[in-house]
Amino acid sequence: MTAAEGAIQEVRNQRLRLLARNARSFASRFATRTDGVVGLAVLIVFAVLALKPELFVGQLETATRATGHAFDPPSSAHIFGADDLGRDVLNRTVHGARISMTIGLLATLITVVIGTLVGIIAGYVGGVVDTVLMRVSDFFLVLPTFVLAIILAPVLIEVVGVDASVFGIRATLLVIIVVIGLTSWATTARIIRSQVLSLKGRMFVDRARVIGAGPGRIMIAHILPNVMNLIVAQAVLTFAVAVFTETTLSFIGLGDPFQPSWGEILNSAETSGAPGLGAWWYIAPPAVAVVLVVLAFTLVGNALDDLLNPKSATRR
Amino acid sequence: MSEDAVADQPLDERPEIPKEVAVPEDATIAAGEAAKIRRGRQWPLPKLAVPGAPLLEVKDLQTHFKLRQGWVRAVDGVSFGLADGEALGLAGESACGKTTTALSLMKLLPSNGRIRGGSVELFGIDLVPKSETAMQRYRWRELSIVFQGAMNALNPVLRVRDQIAEPIQYRLGQPEAAARQRAEELLDLVGIPKKRSGSYPHELSGGMRQRAMIAMALACDPAIVIGDEPTTALDVMVQAQILELLERLRRELGLSLILITHDLSVLAETCDRVLVMYAGRVAEEGPTSRVFTAPRHPYTRKLVGSFPNINADRRTLEVIQGQPPDLLTPPPGCRFAPRCEFVMPVCREVVPPEVRFSDGVRVACHLFPKSDIEDVAGAIPYPETPPTSTAGPAATPAASA
Repeated sequence: MTAAEGAIQEVRNQRLRLLARNARSFASRFATRTDGVVGLAVLIVFAVLALKPELFVGQLETATRATGHAFDPPSSAHIFGADDLGRDVLNRTVHGARISMTIGLLATLITVVIGTLVGIIAGYVGGVVDTVLMRVSDFFLVLPTFVLAIILAPVLIEVVGVDASVFGIRATLLVIIVVIGLTSWATTARIIRSQVLSLKGRMFVDRARVIGAGPGRIMIAHILPNVMNLIVAQAVLTFAVAVFTETTLSFIGLGDPFQPSWGEILNSAETSGAPGLGAWWYIAPPAVAVVLVVLAFTLVGNALDDLLNPKSATRR
Repeated sequence: MSEDAVADQPLDERPEIPKEVAVPEDATIAAGEAAKIRRGRQWPLPKLAVPGAPLLEVKDLQTHFKLRQGWVRAVDGVSFGLADGEALGLAGESACGKTTTALSLMKLLPSNGRIRGGSVELFGIDLVPKSETAMQRYRWRELSIVFQGAMNALNPVLRVRDQIAEPIQYRLGQPEAAARQRAEELLDLVGIPKKRSGSYPHELSGGMRQRAMIAMALACDPAIVIGDEPTTALDVMVQAQILELLERLRRELGLSLILITHDLSVLAETCDRVLVMYAGRVAEEGPTSRVFTAPRHPYTRKLVGSFPNINADRRTLEVIQGQPPDLLTPPPGCRFAPRCEFVMPVCREVVPPEVRFSDGVRVACHLFPKSDIEDVAGAIPYPETPPTSTAGPAATPAASA
């Protein structure tokens, strides 16, 4: 039996080596895509800022911890000036990255998990299941994000209380995450379902069935890896949309004033009359940050979409 | 090592196999030989099997497809048998029911297809009334198939080795690591080195993919392997290699082969017997050498004649005029009658009965109403001698210069 175990171990090692080799080959192919690399670089910068904002700009400045005066224009002390309460705009923008990115990440997770599950099951099982799931997704597809958020926010806060938090995320932010997740999974489900429908007709699915694989095994082992490229690309694009939606929702006042996100900063700029006062430095940094992140995600998403497409892999 | 452990699993009981097992009446394998192959099986026979029954006996198989306009009689009364270790070729032009016949054996028909009559007996067990669940015991473990077009039958995003390991895991219930190792052995058996076994399908050449499909068909040591055009879309060199491989595996593993192809040279090289189908029926069946050297049915004759002969004038090939009949409303008599040059009034009215000759050939044609003719070749009532095959007296090789 030791010989057998040795052989099995050998198979495992070989698998690991192959995995490493594949990862390297993928990385080198990704490196040839300039747009993807630029996008990735921007994302890494923002990710580092989101993870450790204190290292770069110190603690989050609040009304009591403000270091400047109201509407200080940009200077050497405050590179992007100060806001209506004298808080450093750079400081708040950098801290805002964490909230914006967290919301984006969690909303994307919800979207991709629900979307993939529904898409694969509806597409593979078909029939009544498909019809029911697609009618449900139709409902969520036409659900207006903002109206849903405006209705859901007070209800949820009433239910769980203002100070309630889940994994350190306060109730108001939770509303934003849930709303983004609920309104965007349907698109993902639709895209994945259509791909699954075309995969289902391929001969390898029939072959797998004949060989003895059950529906679950076929969906997980045969269909899922084939739609992985769609899922990754869709996730990256959803992230961009989620960050953008979060900004918009916070801007119209559905954010959490105690946890500044980029949209929240833009909202307080608007309510304090910054545009009228010509305080562009209050508006530009968070707005540019949003645009940069969304753009970076779109670039990476497009590059991944191209690279993970099996057809482009065969072409090489 | 791990194989011993698996062989002990009580999948089914192991019945005593008699000294001689039944073989179809025209089999090219002797009864004792067949029994020896059956005793050499790695896995026990299925529970319901009759140990001495012939390997495969198809009787009056009728597989029809439902269309809006009615039933298409794709396979309409096909009978044949297969002995242990024998290779049978199914020949005929496109859409004559070859693939449908093969898929009916495994009950892998498309959703609108149904077996409406006849029986498919494997070790004496009729598979036709079996449910989808009950078929699971026979699929891949007794009957497996090398699919047409290896690229489509392999999942593009899974490693070849893992795909071959699948039936071992799911049909034989072996653990993943052992199954994967067995898959590597199988790949080695078909000539794919171990270091390539972790490749994805698109990283393999066409011939290697086809080999991988063959390895997959062998995964559960089946009794019968069906090859559905296994060499189509491969170049001649690779074709030869694949056929050689199939031949070798048949000898070494005691497999029975059913080879579907429209390439007669493939059949001539690998099969003991051929079954020529036309429009869902058997036109002629018999030992390969007899059918190809002395074709009796006008269709077989035309089919053999339309094949390029290396010794003959290459510029003139025989053509079969017309098209196969619409199987939604097949002609009432012989289905070849509308295209046959020897057509008689009776052909258009009466379905020709199948007549078996002393040399093992079975023909369904009104030109051969009786089988009591001793000298078959001399008795063929054709106007001239068959212009085909090794004899080829009509054409002179002068033109080829």
